[in-house]
Amino acid sequence: MAKRIVVDPITRIEGHLRIEAEIENGKIVDAYSAGTMVRGIEIILKGRDPRDAWAFTERVCGVCTTVHALASCRTVENALDIKIPPNAELVRNLMFSAQQMQDHVIHFYHLHALDWVDVVSALKADPKETSRIAQSISNWAKSSPKYFSDLQKRLTNFVNSGQLGIFANGYWGHPAYKLPPEINLIGVAHYLEALEWQKEVIKIHTILGGKNPHPNYLVGGAPISINIDEANALNMERLNIIHKQLKDAKEFINQVYIPDILAVAPYYLEWSKIGGGLKNYLAYGDLPTNGYNDVSSFKLPRGIILDRNLNEVIDVDGTDEEQIKEYIAHSWYEYEDGSSGPKHPWHGETKLNYTGPKPPYEYLDVKNKYSWLKTPRWKDKPMEVGPLARMLVSYAKGVPEVKGLIDTVLGKLNAPASVLFSTLGRTAARAIEAAVVADWALEFYNQLISNIKNGDTRMANMEKWDPETWPKEAKGVGMTEAPRGALAHWISIKDKKIDNYQLVVPTTWNGSPRDANGNRSAFEESLIGTPVADPEQPLEILRTIHSFDPCLACSVH
Amino acid sequence: MEKNTVLKRVYVWQLPVRFYHWLNALCILILAITGYIIGNPPAIQSGTEAFKGYWFGTVRFIHFVTAFVFFFNFVFRIYWGFVGNRFAKWNNFIPFKKSDWKGMLRIIMIDILQKESRPLRKIGHNSLAGFTYFILFIIFLLQSITGFGLYSAMSTSWFPKLFSWIVPFLGGDLQARQLHHVLMWFFILFAFVHVYLVFYHDYVEGRGIISSMGGGWKFIEREIK
Amino acid sequence: MKINSPTYWEAMQAKGVNRRDFLKYCAWLGALLGIEASGVGKIVHAMETKKRLPVIWLHGQECTCCSESFIRSSHPVVANVILDDISLDYTETLMAASGYQAEKSYRDTITKYKGEYILCMEGAIPTGNGGVYCCIGGRSMEQILKEAAEGAKAIIAWGNCATHGCVQAAKPNPTGATPVRKLISGKPIINVPGCPPIAEVMTGVIAHVLTFDRIPALDSMGRPKAFYSRRVHDSCYRRPNYDAGLFVETFDDENAKKGYCLYKVGCRGPVTYNSCAIMKWNNGVSYPIQSGHGCIGCSEQNFWDNGPFYKHLPSFPGFPIEKTADDICIAIGAATAAGIAAHAITTNIRKRAEIKEKVEKGRIKNIEKEEGVNNG
Ligand code: HEM
Ligand code: HEM
Ligand code: NFV
Ligand code: SF4
Ligand code: SF4
Ligand code: F3S
Ligand SMILES: [Mg+2]
Repeated sequence: MAKRIVVDPITRIEGHLRIEAEIENGKIVDAYSAGTMVRGIEIILKGRDPRDAWAFTERVCGVCTTVHALASCRTVENALDIKIPPNAELVRNLMFSAQQMQDHVIHFYHLHALDWVDVVSALKADPKETSRIAQSISNWAKSSPKYFSDLQKRLTNFVNSGQLGIFANGYWGHPAYKLPPEINLIGVAHYLEALEWQKEVIKIHTILGGKNPHPNYLVGGAPISINIDEANALNMERLNIIHKQLKDAKEFINQVYIPDILAVAPYYLEWSKIGGGLKNYLAYGDLPTNGYNDVSSFKLPRGIILDRNLNEVIDVDGTDEEQIKEYIAHSWYEYEDGSSGPKHPWHGETKLNYTGPKPPYEYLDVKNKYSWLKTPRWKDKPMEVGPLARMLVSYAKGVPEVKGLIDTVLGKLNAPASVLFSTLGRTAARAIEAAVVADWALEFYNQLISNIKNGDTRMANMEKWDPETWPKEAKGVGMTEAPRGALAHWISIKDKKIDNYQLVVPTTWNGSPRDANGNRSAFEESLIGTPVADPEQPLEILRTIHSFDPCLACSVH
Repeated sequence: MEKNTVLKRVYVWQLPVRFYHWLNALCILILAITGYIIGNPPAIQSGTEAFKGYWFGTVRFIHFVTAFVFFFNFVFRIYWGFVGNRFAKWNNFIPFKKSDWKGMLRIIMIDILQKESRPLRKIGHNSLAGFTYFILFIIFLLQSITGFGLYSAMSTSWFPKLFSWIVPFLGGDLQARQLHHVLMWFFILFAFVHVYLVFYHDYVEGRGIISSMGGGWKFIEREIK
Repeated sequence: MKINSPTYWEAMQAKGVNRRDFLKYCAWLGALLGIEASGVGKIVHAMETKKRLPVIWLHGQECTCCSESFIRSSHPVVANVILDDISLDYTETLMAASGYQAEKSYRDTITKYKGEYILCMEGAIPTGNGGVYCCIGGRSMEQILKEAAEGAKAIIAWGNCATHGCVQAAKPNPTGATPVRKLISGKPIINVPGCPPIAEVMTGVIAHVLTFDRIPALDSMGRPKAFYSRRVHDSCYRRPNYDAGLFVETFDDENAKKGYCLYKVGCRGPVTYNSCAIMKWNNGVSYPIQSGHGCIGCSEQNFWDNGPFYKHLPSFPGFPIEKTADDICIAIGAATAAGIAAHAITTNIRKRAEIKEKVEKGRIKNIEKEEGVNNG
């Protein structure tokens, strides 16, 4: 008989995720992933001004803040046929890049690292040896023996205080931790450094959107005006902050993030065979260099990989009502026609209908409905989305920067490309992507400077701002790549108001319950076969689930 | 039944009431104009630097100064409602008695729907007018508390601070402003109808109602027995 | 387990901070919090003697941007807050332990530190349908909040969600999202609105509690006066443009490029209480208005339902989105004018006889004077 274990709350993610897993002979044989919080934002959007939707949808998530705002602006612009000026596209690309870099680093150090790094073991590290290792893997300045011994002292005092705070009741000493104490100490040092750095890089959002989290967006362009001869607009001083942050980000990623991944990975190579899960990958692509309507100009290409076949990339079309659809077979919703779907988002419905157990409860009724996530499918196939999907599509499409970096990393680890289809692969793909985006972001910056130099300071296209210029009815879809994967919003506008608004979000793809045909989505599928040494300390479950960087507020909305 | 009547001159509106009335009308005119500008400032394309201009601040200043005059003039009228003559008394405005409600019904029949042709013989306000003014006074009050409530955030003086409670009560400054703004329209609509009705009564009844707010006298029919 | 926690001073010594720097830090903290020099001694004493304050941070219906904002704090930086100042015993976003172990951390603190811990609430609490819209470990958020509030010394409601309900409470509030203050009574509640609040406001509130051992002075809406007593508009650097009547008419127009006031494109600065214009965001880099977008009023109650965001006057409930009070009232005004005209015409027809009679009969024969006495 399989033993059912429950992990709820799954921590070090965004939001409320619950995993129920069946364990037999130390391995997971079945798993159920449930989102346990809902807000009904799709319901709340009905009847509102489409130009305001970015602000509502941005509040779907404060961790991947901005990506929903971006998707929303594109959705409305798509519906109303608005083309934004090139500078606005660059501003959006810069904000996108800052988000991607910051979110990936936060994820690795603050949400994921403690699955691999044993904080308590770091107390036993030799600071000199730590320093030697640190200097051998990168040129990062903070790597002296004194630096590490000071940190170790601080950590010792912290642990001795008996008040362990966020580290209390962690899985310290678990046999699955494999790193030597010195690398653990480096991990702790960079945990703290990354915490400092992340608050700097987001200043790019502060300049361009006025604040972070939740910077401001604008349908038709970007709200900030360029005027290099004015104190109140985007001028050289403002641009300099952006430039500095981009350069610092690149350095942090190349000198800290990537070396750490390369240092940690060799100790956990067995995780390149665990947690692969689904075999299909979906990316909408992003970072247009010739306007959002020209998909071929995207730095991150669009496409689908089926059955891990990297020789073919299949097209995806959000407006084709036969492609992307959502089931509610195991989700606490109700469709008007009584079916469990699937429905294309333009016909999507959001009516809450909880049928689960009354709280407090011990187990969910996983045979029936058990989650607030809907279940998206592409032509009835489950898809994995995220940095791994993006890197695979880019690799398959031969994006040179991506191909180069992946090959380098695989070379250093002396591993074949197939290791990418795993828990470890997901974590590595995220770092690779951060490094590629760090380079591209500087290109966008330079492009913006050159536009301004050439006298183009346009930032917003206000021709269709006035609702009087809109058609009576309009429909749109806006796509982007959020840090966690393919994100799209669908809108229908009627009489100048939102008639229907549907979001299909990265973690909705990855973390959804099964569809009507019983097919598992990525979280559930990837857990099958994962070893669990001690069911009381489900560290291994966390590793695989965290490799997706779940965001439940996003996924349910 | 035909009756012979003579007109009798009656001193209805005492000087303070007349003074109050015209000052009030002037304040409301200024407040509505400045208020409308505050709510919808005109597009003035200008190359000047901000430090050279202050016109919008001046408009607001006029609004606030006038607001104080308006408010205390109103307070004075309430006081006069207790000490003034019988036409100025507060009980002209509040329909306590059944006959007040009956009167209102008749006014509606006579003046609004024009089903009856006989004018009502009333010296001061007719009961419908009185009641309308009562509502108007309540709106004066609302306008003042929302106005001073909003103003309390920009003032350190104790007086506006007395009204600061209204803002959280209404759910925030925006709600207070929305209400304050809508009430402006009430005054505009009231003034339209009020001025029309004054002219109407003068025209139909010929009792000199317009000039009564000037000199205080009305001309009332008296039957010749 | 015996608690043997170092004081701030000890914690800072462990970091290699010397006494002089420590005193400087205290003076600087004092300056930040607006304490006069004579009060700095108190801070020094507080920092020397206090253990780390246990904190439980719950997550309800939220987007976690309050946590995200919190970790952006620059003074103090958040690593120091959680390693040296407080003991963040439970927060789903950052804690190492999951599942049972996480629940254990929570239980340990609410039992061991009963009456001593600070409860931070991020997110709203759905009360609809028995609380099924937000469950953690099989229990509803409402059940957890009530239990955790029981033994809390004080409660901090982070963000617009916990203070006002925020986006999930916007109409039609499908899950019955409710702010803390409507569910918990009998405990001090510090409301820290904003979507999210500014990072340094969040750490500032915590530092205030730690340093002075009491909650900050609150206004009538339970917000710390230090951060919410001014409207954005009162300290906005574009204010001279407002006073001079220089306005942006539409985004990215000539006026926008000159940084004129954003009032006419919907800025809610005049109706929003927050420190954005004073402290600015992300260590003083900018704030919404400086970056060209009006304030959307994100620290105000109901700000989601005060839209559309790009109109100075919100749309009027029950009317189409683009119609403001002015449009509606102008329509009513037109109807009134038409009514008056119709009435005037009818008067001339229906009252004709009466008017004529009076004009022809010429009634003024006898004029008596009546004294304006009080005989009514
Ligand atoms: C008949 C009386 C009044 C009328 C018609 C009137 C009208 C208005 C209007 C239309 C606005 C613009 C509101 C908006 O669109 O946001 C306004 C603003 C304002 N009014 Fe009045 N008002 C009147 C009396 C008062 C009084 C008695 C006060 C008391 C101080 C007052 C104080 C204010 C304040 C503080 C503002 C906001 C101005 C700003 O923030 O710049 N008003 N008024
Ligand atoms: C040409 C302009 C106006 C004229 C000729 C006029 C005339 C009059 C007259 C004759 C009365 C007495 C009505 C009666 O016997 O029932 C009256 C009362 C009144 N009017 Fe006007 N009015 C004018 C404008 C206004 C305006 C603009 C307002 C304010 C919005 C206003 C507010 C009032 C009020 C409040 C009363 C009641 C007075 C009291 O008893 O305190 N009037 N007006
Ligand atoms: N899933 C998800 Fe997001 C991301 N990345 C968004 O679309 O985190 Ni909140
Ligand atoms: S208040 Fe705003 S920022 Fe904070 S959790 Fe709620 S939606 Fe997010
Ligand atoms: S931009 Fe907004 S806050 Fe600033 S002065 Fe203008 S209206 Fe006020
Ligand atoms: S939108 Fe919010 S961030 Fe500040 S400027 Fe307005 S309160
Ligand atoms: Mg959806």
